[in-house]
Amino acid sequence: MTRFEESAPVKGGFSFDLCKRNEMLVQKGLKPSSYLKTGTTIVGLVFRDGVILGADTRATEGPIVADKNCEKIHYMAPNIYCCGAGTAADTEAVTDMVSSQLKLHRFHTGRDSRVVTALTLLKSHLFSYQGHVSAALVLGGVDVTGPHLHTIYPHGSTDTLPFATMGSGSLAAMAIFESKYREGLTRDEGVKLVAEAISSGIFNDLGSGSNVDVCVITKGNREYLRNYMLPNLRTYVSEKGYSFSKKTEVLMTKITPLRELVEVNEGGDAMEE
Amino acid sequence: MGDSQYSFSLTTFSPSGKLVQIEHALTAVGSGQTSLGIKASNGVVIATEKKLPSILVDEASVQKIQTLTPNIGVVYSGMGPDSRVLVRKSRKQAEQYYRLYKEPIPVTQLVRETATVMQEFTQSGGVRPFGVSLLVAGYDDKGPQLYQVDPSGSYFSWKASAMGKNVSNAKTFLEKRYTEEMELDDAVHTAILTLKEGFEGQISGKNIEIGMIGNDRIFKVLSPSEVEDYLQEAE
Repeated sequence: MTRFEESAPVKGGFSFDLCKRNEMLVQKGLKPSSYLKTGTTIVGLVFRDGVILGADTRATEGPIVADKNCEKIHYMAPNIYCCGAGTAADTEAVTDMVSSQLKLHRFHTGRDSRVVTALTLLKSHLFSYQGHVSAALVLGGVDVTGPHLHTIYPHGSTDTLPFATMGSGSLAAMAIFESKYREGLTRDEGVKLVAEAISSGIFNDLGSGSNVDVCVITKGNREYLRNYMLPNLRTYVSEKGYSFSKKTEVLMTKITPLRELVEVNEGGDAMEE
Repeated sequence: MGDSQYSFSLTTFSPSGKLVQIEHALTAVGSGQTSLGIKASNGVVIATEKKLPSILVDEASVQKIQTLTPNIGVVYSGMGPDSRVLVRKSRKQAEQYYRLYKEPIPVTQLVRETATVMQEFTQSGGVRPFGVSLLVAGYDDKGPQLYQVDPSGSYFSWKASAMGKNVSNAKTFLEKRYTEEMELDDAVHTAILTLKEGFEGQISGKNIEIGMIGNDRIFKVLSPSEVEDYLQEAE
């Protein structure tokens, strides 16, 4: 009856009902299941013509490297990108959702998205989940009002800064920024500084590693430099290869051809009145 | 919506088996401004009259043809405000589909979902059917497509169609002029000539709107000056 009320506020959302039960289980000795965290070094800086974002590419699951080349710089809008640290699923889902909302907003208004719009959508969402959505983000972009760079914390607070770092490698990266950042950097200087900061995180923080991704956003243009630097290539690969002794005997070989595909023509999409 | 006093449907059957409200909705569509669409071999064009109630209205602020996704556009005949609601819902549905499947929504799927919404409003409590018919033009992996969606929620795929005032003349004209091998530019000229047939007054880039999508799969609404260029070619 009321299916058309999609646009009305959703009564669903995260249900906190099971949190008490989970706490009780932990007290009784049940270990909570592990999830994929990104460890991470993510950075951003404002340069002369826009914004540069950088990130490492290691995703960790406790002490194990789960993904050696994951993408941490997420697309939000043609002129806005967002780096994510924290729980990988949370950063992916929240940036995907806000990217979707921004797209609809662009259709309705006929205008390019503004960075503050993405900022407000993200922070409202994170605040309403009271920090349970573990996403720490560096949001950067260039819109009609100019270049902007913000950091967003899992509880929903934000900062607006000329240069920012987040994640477990943030201190290593911030050390580089604090000593070498100045206003009015050129594009090449900015990219070099970002790459240096991420490398500092890669080499000095266990939670970050592998490669450097860089994204340069200027007015009307953006360059997504995936794997801009690869300082951790696998240098030695054995030429001999590996041989495994056969343990299982082959008793019989039989080839069954796949059945032929039968196309059913339903007569198109016409409907009767 | 859905208040307890109006939890019954206002659209009820007549003894002859018709839904009178839908018939009336179709009448509302039939008295709306003419719009039409033509599917060419390499694209689709949709067009509509843009007659404003007074010369004082700022015609640049009125846009009847809307984009639903980068490769799907829509035009309506009937009540403008009703079409706005549908456009908004369709855009949202297209976006939700993309979020779930990471694939741009196929034209048939979007048409089906829009038609479902329109049908819901003929069978829900306290609401009335939409007073618009939509012409949806899109280009996806299945090629160029043109669909018409009616207030009842039924939809049809057309090679060429017209709606609104003067629909029978327009359709006859289209039947004579339509060919399967027609290309997009010819289709635009045919669309303009069809609109001209029933047009009262002087046709110009400011009182018609044309939207088209070609092999590039990007739907765009032509600017008044671009429309003028096509108008001059068509003469």
